[in-house]
Amino acid sequence: MADRKAELERKKARLEQMRRERKEKELSKTRNVGDDSKTSVKSSGSDASGAEPDDILREFGISPAPEGSPATPKKAAAQSQAVKEVEVPTSVSHTTPRKVRLSVAKVNETSIPPRENVSYSKETQTIIADPVDKDARGPWDYYVLVYDDANKSDDDNDLDFIENLEGSSSHAHQFRGHGHSHGHGHTHKMPHVEMVAPATTSEEQNKEHKKPVPELSEEEKKQILMSEGFQKFFDHSSRIVERALAEEVDIFADYSGKDSGGKDDEAMAGERLKVNRDFYDDKWSKHRIITSLDWSAQHPELLLSSYGSNEDATNVPDGVALIWNIKYKKDTPEYVFHCQSPVMSSCFAKFHPNLVLGGTYSGQIVLWDNRVNKRTPVQRTPLSASAHTHPVYCITVVGTQNAHNLISVSNDGKLCSWSLDMLSQPQDSMELQHKQSKSVAATCSSFLSGDANNFIVGSEECLVYSASRHGSKAGINEAYDAHQGPITAIDTHRVPGQIDFSPYFLSSSFDWTVKLWSIKEQKYLCSFEDNSDYVSDVQWSPTNPALFSSVDIMGRLDLWHLNHETEVPTASVVVDTNVALNKLRWHQTGHHIGVGDDMGRIYIYDVAENIANPKADEWSKFVRTLQEMKQQATEREEDSTLLGSAAPIR
Amino acid sequence: MDDFQSGEETAFVVDEVTNIIKEAVEGSIGGNAYQHNKVNQWTSSVVEQCLNQLTKLSKPFKYIVTCVIMQKNGAGLHTASSCYWDNQTDGSCTVRWENKTMYCIVSVFGLAI
Repeated sequence: MADRKAELERKKARLEQMRRERKEKELSKTRNVGDDSKTSVKSSGSDASGAEPDDILREFGISPAPEGSPATPKKAAAQSQAVKEVEVPTSVSHTTPRKVRLSVAKVNETSIPPRENVSYSKETQTIIADPVDKDARGPWDYYVLVYDDANKSDDDNDLDFIENLEGSSSHAHQFRGHGHSHGHGHTHKMPHVEMVAPATTSEEQNKEHKKPVPELSEEEKKQILMSEGFQKFFDHSSRIVERALAEEVDIFADYSGKDSGGKDDEAMAGERLKVNRDFYDDKWSKHRIITSLDWSAQHPELLLSSYGSNEDATNVPDGVALIWNIKYKKDTPEYVFHCQSPVMSSCFAKFHPNLVLGGTYSGQIVLWDNRVNKRTPVQRTPLSASAHTHPVYCITVVGTQNAHNLISVSNDGKLCSWSLDMLSQPQDSMELQHKQSKSVAATCSSFLSGDANNFIVGSEECLVYSASRHGSKAGINEAYDAHQGPITAIDTHRVPGQIDFSPYFLSSSFDWTVKLWSIKEQKYLCSFEDNSDYVSDVQWSPTNPALFSSVDIMGRLDLWHLNHETEVPTASVVVDTNVALNKLRWHQTGHHIGVGDDMGRIYIYDVAENIANPKADEWSKFVRTLQEMKQQATEREEDSTLLGSAAPIR
Repeated sequence: MDDFQSGEETAFVVDEVTNIIKEAVEGSIGGNAYQHNKVNQWTSSVVEQCLNQLTKLSKPFKYIVTCVIMQKNGAGLHTASSCYWDNQTDGSCTVRWENKTMYCIVSVFGLAI
C-alpha cells in the first residue's frame, strides 16, 4: 500500500512537472516570438495544425506564400501575444498542388570494360654448342680431384718433391702445396677440384727467358700483317691515336657568357638552336640519303645513321650504316657497316650494346656486330615469304632485358617479331589489315611508351592506325583519318612524370602539316601548319613534355614548345637552302638533335637549356594546353558539322 | 537526361551540374594515385563538395549524389540507372573521370520540389 502511494505520488509529481513545462514552453513561445531561432519556431509549429497558420496569416493580410523568415516573426510579435502560433517554417513554400506528369526516364548506363590479360609464350631454340677444340686452347680445362691430408706438409718439402717428379701427379701436389700456402685453415678432408697446369720443367722455364729475336722475311711479315691478332691490335690502336690527334682543347671557354645568355629568352632567340658540328664521310656517305638515325642507350655519345644507295657510284655497296661519336672531335665514323641492299631503317639493339640492326629495301633484316672485325652483316634474315618481301621501314626492339623481341613492319603490312638469337625465321608474323582485308602500306611505326603490345602505324594511304600484337584485338583497331598525304613519321609521347601523357602522339605527313592526336579520340587535337613543304620527320623531346621538333624538305628544323605557342614554332632554323632534311632524332638528354639530310650529311644541333629543360610546372601547364586544344577541337567539330548541315549563317 | 529550360531557374541544367561535378572531382582526387586508405576521404569529399555547390545554386531541388571510385585493376564494371519522374523539371547527370590508376563515376539526380 505504501509503495502504491509512493508510486501515485511520483506520478502526480511527474504530471505536474509536465504541466509546468508545457506552461513554460507556451510562455517562452510568446516571449521568443521575436527571435530568429527557427528551431523553437519549428517545434511549436509542429504542434499546430496546418490550417491555423494560414488563417492567422490571412488575418495579417499576408498571402499564403510567405517571403522570408525574419519578416513574419516580427509581425507576429508586433500584433499580439494572443498569437501562440508562429510563422510557418520557411523551408517549404506554398502548398498549392501542381500538376505533375511522371514518366520513366532513359536508362543511364556506365560501362568500364575489363582489361584483357594478354599472355603469350616464347620459345628459343638453343644452338648446339661446338665440341671443345682441344688443340686450340691450352690444357687448362682438365680438372683433377685433389685430396687434402690432415697433416699439412712442409712447403719446402713439396717443392723439392716437384723438381724431381714429372707428369700429372706432380701438378696435383704442386697445387696442393700452393693451396696450403694460401689457405691457412685448409684442414678439411673432402676432395676439391683444381685446375691442372701444364707440366713445366726447370729446363723449359730457362728456355722461355732467353728467346732470341729472329729476323723475319718478307713473307713472314706479310703473314703477320694479315693475321687476325695483328688486325685487331692495329684497328684498336689506330682508333685511339686518331681520337687523340683530332682533339683540340678549347681554352677560351666562357662560362659567364653562357650564364647570362640563358636568362634572357627574347634576346637569345637566335641561340635556341645552334649547329654544334656535322658528320660527313666522303667515301661512305656522299650522295646518300640518310634513312634513319638512332642514339645508343648504353653509350650516349654514339649515333647510328643508315644510308640509302649512292646512285652515282657503281661498285660500292648499296646499303651503309655508320656509327659516329660526338664525344671526340675526329670526323671519321667509329664503325662502318655495309650490306647489299639500301638500308631503310636501323636501330641499336637496345639490350645488346654491340649489335646494330638494319631493315633493308629488299625486305631483309641484317645484324651487324662491332665485336668482330667485319663490315658485312653477321646475321641476315631469309628472303622468303615467311619473312618480309617488301622494304622494311620500321624496326624496333621492344620488351625488357630478359624478354625482348625485334619487331619489323614492312611496306606490305606484314609485321614480324623475331628473336635476336635466331634470325633464320620469325617467331611470329601478322598481316596488318584494315577492313575488308585491305593491307596497310606501313611507312612508320611507334610503340606506346612502356607497352610491348600496343603501337601505332602510319601508312601511305594518309591514315594512322592503332594496333596491338596480341590479345583478342590483335591487329588493326582504329583508324585516324585527317591527313591528306602519306604519313612520313609518327611518334608517341614518352616523357616520364607525375602526369601521364602516353595517349598523345604526333604525326607528320606530305600534306605540309604535323598533327597532334590522342589515341582515345578519333579526331585530332591540333594541327601545326607552319611548314610550306613535305614534313619528313617529327619527334617528341625525351625530357620536356611540351616540346617537339620537326624537319621538312626545305631544310627547315623547327622546335615547337606547346606551352609557349601552338601556332608557330618557338624556334626555327634553316640548315641549308639546297638540302632536304629527311630524319631527326633527339639525344636522350634532350639537349642535342641529330638531323640528317639527303646528301649524306648529319648536323648535330644544340638546343638551348632554357627551352630543352622542363620547368617544374611544365606538366600541369601542358595539361591545360591540352584542355584548350580539346575545346578548340570540339568547337571545330561543331563548326564542321554545322557547315556540313548547310546552315547558312551562324 | 534531357533538360528543358521551362521557367528560368526551375529546371535541371545539366551543363552547370556537370561543371560542378568536374570541379569537385578534380579538386579532391585530381593528380592522385589510387590509395586504399585515402579513398574513403576522397569519396566523402567529392560527394560533400558536389552537394555544397549544388545547394549554393539555391534552386528548389532535392539532390542525390553518388560517387564510385574504382581502382584500375583490369576488372570490368557496368552500372545502369533509370528514374520515374517528371521529365520536364527533373534531371540527372553522370560524369566519368579517370586517370592512370582509377576511375571515378559521379551521378547527380535532381528532383524538383
